[in-house]
Amino acid sequence: MTYLFIILYAITLIYFALSERVKKFVYLLSVQGFILFGIVFFSLHKIEIFDFIFILLETILVKSIVVPLFLNKIRKHNKLKREHEPSVPVFYSIIVVVISLIISFLLSNNLNSNQIHTKYFTVAFASILFGVYFIIIHKNIFSHVVGYLIIENGTFLLSLAVGSTMPMMVNLAILLDVLMGVLVLGVFINHIGDTFKSIEIDQLTKLKD
Amino acid sequence: MISFLLIIIAAIFFVGIIVKVKAKIAARKMPSILQPVYDVIRLFKKGAIYSTTTSIIFKAAPLVYFASVFLAIFFIPVGSQNAFLSFEGDFVFFAYLLGIGKFMMIIAAMDTGSGFEGMGANREALYSMLVEPAFFILAGSLALFTNNISFQDLFFHLNLDTDLSYIIGIAAIYVLMYIAMVENSRMPVDDPKTHLELTMVHEVMILDNSGFDLALTHIATWLKFSIYGSLISNFIIHSSWNWYWQVIAFFGIQFTFAVIVGMMEAFRARNKMEKNPQWIIMLSAISVVVFLTALIITQKLILN
Repeated sequence: MTYLFIILYAITLIYFALSERVKKFVYLLSVQGFILFGIVFFSLHKIEIFDFIFILLETILVKSIVVPLFLNKIRKHNKLKREHEPSVPVFYSIIVVVISLIISFLLSNNLNSNQIHTKYFTVAFASILFGVYFIIIHKNIFSHVVGYLIIENGTFLLSLAVGSTMPMMVNLAILLDVLMGVLVLGVFINHIGDTFKSIEIDQLTKLKD
Repeated sequence: MISFLLIIIAAIFFVGIIVKVKAKIAARKMPSILQPVYDVIRLFKKGAIYSTTTSIIFKAAPLVYFASVFLAIFFIPVGSQNAFLSFEGDFVFFAYLLGIGKFMMIIAAMDTGSGFEGMGANREALYSMLVEPAFFILAGSLALFTNNISFQDLFFHLNLDTDLSYIIGIAAIYVLMYIAMVENSRMPVDDPKTHLELTMVHEVMILDNSGFDLALTHIATWLKFSIYGSLISNFIIHSSWNWYWQVIAFFGIQFTFAVIVGMMEAFRARNKMEKNPQWIIMLSAISVVVFLTALIITQKLILN
């Protein structure tokens, strides 16, 4: 069952590359949260029950409900509708996603390590690569936050891949850190939006002290 | 032979159901389910008119198009009913058979010398080219998954019973459904009801065809829909079912497919013309994910 969610996660990355509406980004982040919940639910039952329930709550509450709701609020506050011209055409973005997926699947096939669960490594690596790419091609601060959250979902999967050696509390700390990061960035975006009437990053180059 | 007959019967009613669903949703009076058939019979009674600038290519193209689609039906099995013709690697033959028909229609549109038809042919060629990798990667992954390379054996040995193979089934149905829409120039890429030549794809290409030729192209469209519907039904129908369940399921799936197409045409807006290529390449991307899944199932990619 874990594989099913991993493949679904790969498909959400393709839809991230395809979509151009800010609303869809938020929606896809929420879907990714549910998929991570599924992955955790079907694969992590060997750990302590307290840790298990805590991680499940984190994925379902933080990743798929609280963060998307908060992002939606920011989207409405700043009246974001359609992404303005990503600097790379969507056609190429889709090809880049497919290539990164193929590379990460082949890479995990060749890892041959007993300490890493390579099935999580596949999409984790692709997700981190794609998150960085996503930040590069968009000019909007809101999309940068979305890219940051994609990378964070990738690191979450990476922590599952090395789960036998990494204590779960570290993972939880990362999750809380991200939640706080998103909240702070949200307030930050709202302030920029109120001051400059736009959240394009080009506006920030005019700042002087 | 039975599968051939089943596909023909489904084809006769397919477009009628689409039209009926669209009329129902728009709260119009519904036409008869056989209305497209009556239209085609009326067209058959008329003679064809040819422009003086056209050559023999333009006259031959609709016949070649119809013949290629008609021949393609012979390769499609339905449930446990064998296909009329089958050999190893016939899905490549199938794809290029449809390709020949499309190629003839494209050069026929060029042959008329009309600017509009050249534009339509241009678009149709681009979309068919972009959708081809999706079909081949999908067929290739199914061949890898079942270890067979003809349509008949491939569907006969297709067992979707583990959780990963569900992904293959669902993604394959999704991709095939949209391939059918692109091949038939239907809603997300083209609007068959549009009235402006500049926004047409397929309709502007067959603008010069009339009477008998137009009727043939219409019938070829029905057959294509029915062919893709049968391919989809093969993912759901299991060959161990009783024959009457298979027939009921076959018509049920074709009916559902037609209703989905009708609803999509009623509720969806057409994509912007420049957004079409990226939308079509997405189908290939999903096929690649299906391919990776097939690699995992067949243990070619070893993950722990």
